[in-house]
Amino acid sequence: MTCHEARELLSALVDDALGAAERDALDAHLAACVDCRRDLQRVRDTVALLRAVEPARAPAGFVDRVLEATRPASWPRRLLRALFFPWPVKLPVEAAAVVLVTVGVVYLYQATPELQQAARLESPAPTVAEAPRAATPQPSERSFEKKDAPAPSRARAENVQRPTDSRDTSGDTEQRRDRQNFQRDAEPAPSAGTVAGGKTEAPPARSGRVLETRESQAPAAPESAADALKARRQAATPPTAASFAPPDVSGGLAVNDRDAALRALAELVARLGGVEDRRHSGPEGSIVELTIPREAYAEFARELARLGRWQPTREPTELPARVRIGLRITG
Amino acid sequence: MEGRTGDDSHLVDRLRRGDPGAFEDLVIAYQHRVFSVALRMLGSRAEAEDLAQEVFVRVHGAIAEFRGDAKLSTWLYTIASRLCLNRLASSERRMIREGEETLTRLASSHASPAAELERSELETALHRAIAELPEERRIVVVLRDLEGLSYEEIAAALELELGTVRSRLHRARMDLKEKLERFLP
Repeated sequence: MTCHEARELLSALVDDALGAAERDALDAHLAACVDCRRDLQRVRDTVALLRAVEPARAPAGFVDRVLEATRPASWPRRLLRALFFPWPVKLPVEAAAVVLVTVGVVYLYQATPELQQAARLESPAPTVAEAPRAATPQPSERSFEKKDAPAPSRARAENVQRPTDSRDTSGDTEQRRDRQNFQRDAEPAPSAGTVAGGKTEAPPARSGRVLETRESQAPAAPESAADALKARRQAATPPTAASFAPPDVSGGLAVNDRDAALRALAELVARLGGVEDRRHSGPEGSIVELTIPREAYAEFARELARLGRWQPTREPTELPARVRIGLRITG
Repeated sequence: MEGRTGDDSHLVDRLRRGDPGAFEDLVIAYQHRVFSVALRMLGSRAEAEDLAQEVFVRVHGAIAEFRGDAKLSTWLYTIASRLCLNRLASSERRMIREGEETLTRLASSHASPAAELERSELETALHRAIAELPEERRIVVVLRDLEGLSYEEIAAALELELGTVRSRLHRARMDLKEKLERFLP
């Protein structure tokens, strides 16, 4: 081994990082070479100086600054952990919350049109003087109604015999849905059990003249505003108008001949033992409020469907003994 | 550092479990060593603090990827070394170096003039000698003689062959021996 080769290994010798063969060869050279032994000592002294250097210390507050720097990067993980862990507990709770919110939204969505309808039906402000006239039709009207309107027994017979496929002839999905809803709601009524399946066929309505109830309604108003409007109207009307409360059942009836329909309606109400409370006619249609016994409601609804395209907008399952009905007749 | 292996394995377990205090403990345990490497390599305390902070930010983001094949300390030195070399190699850093003397910045980086005066001539000479080493030799001698890493750990941190580590360390020490000759007994 030459001195040059020996000096190349001195640093590794200081670190005891030589292999056995290299170590033996270097030891043999050092034993015979004074200069290389001196160089080895210089290397050892140099390394000792380096290792005596006092280690640098991070400045004060360094840890806080690092933690602050890492905090923004870690918040999504903390957010996810807070939202989903422990998942066996939080996921079912979150799912139940979603269901509750969905049910609440659907309920509010369905409740709002009813409030609008209640406010709309009260808006014509009919006079009390019209009620007796509507409740007791004139003889001429009565004879006309007898000629055009079907006899009650005949209507019932047709309802029973007419197959349910009559529903398919309308081709109107919304009308079919309304009928099905009415059928479901009418089943608890005692007289509806045997004829509930026999749906009457609605006459073809002239769609261009049919006033869709919701389209004719005023813009949606908050529940509180509707209540306030109702309160103002009640305060402005005579005390005898106790029936200004929203009717139990309301809806629209689109007919071809409005006058004929009004006459037939008066005949029907009288035959079922009901009374027409008030009537108001305008260029866009007629508003009729009437009351019939609960037992006669199912038949009333069927006959109403024969008069025109009946679209109930409010038809609760539970009806009072005296059912107050508000109709908007257009055509 | 070798004696910390047991502590590190416990710390790594806590980090993997998401122990909220584990990362803070990691920073506390390694802040001075990481900062020291950065200071010896970059020469500026402000720049060293900035780089050391970047090291821990990277560790924080990648702790889930640490497989535990190497020691936690080696992993930290690996990140610190690479960031130092990358910064030294950047064009921005080279422009700075051309405009000012690195050792002057190192000497003026201490807290007060009084403290600066108290620094021994030997210490100044040591820092100057280390700072004047080529970067690839400087990082090896810093990791070996100032931080105490083994040849194998240095080879792993810098992705070098053992022979290359030994050779670079030898060259670095020979340079330092010549520059510190007057301080040797």
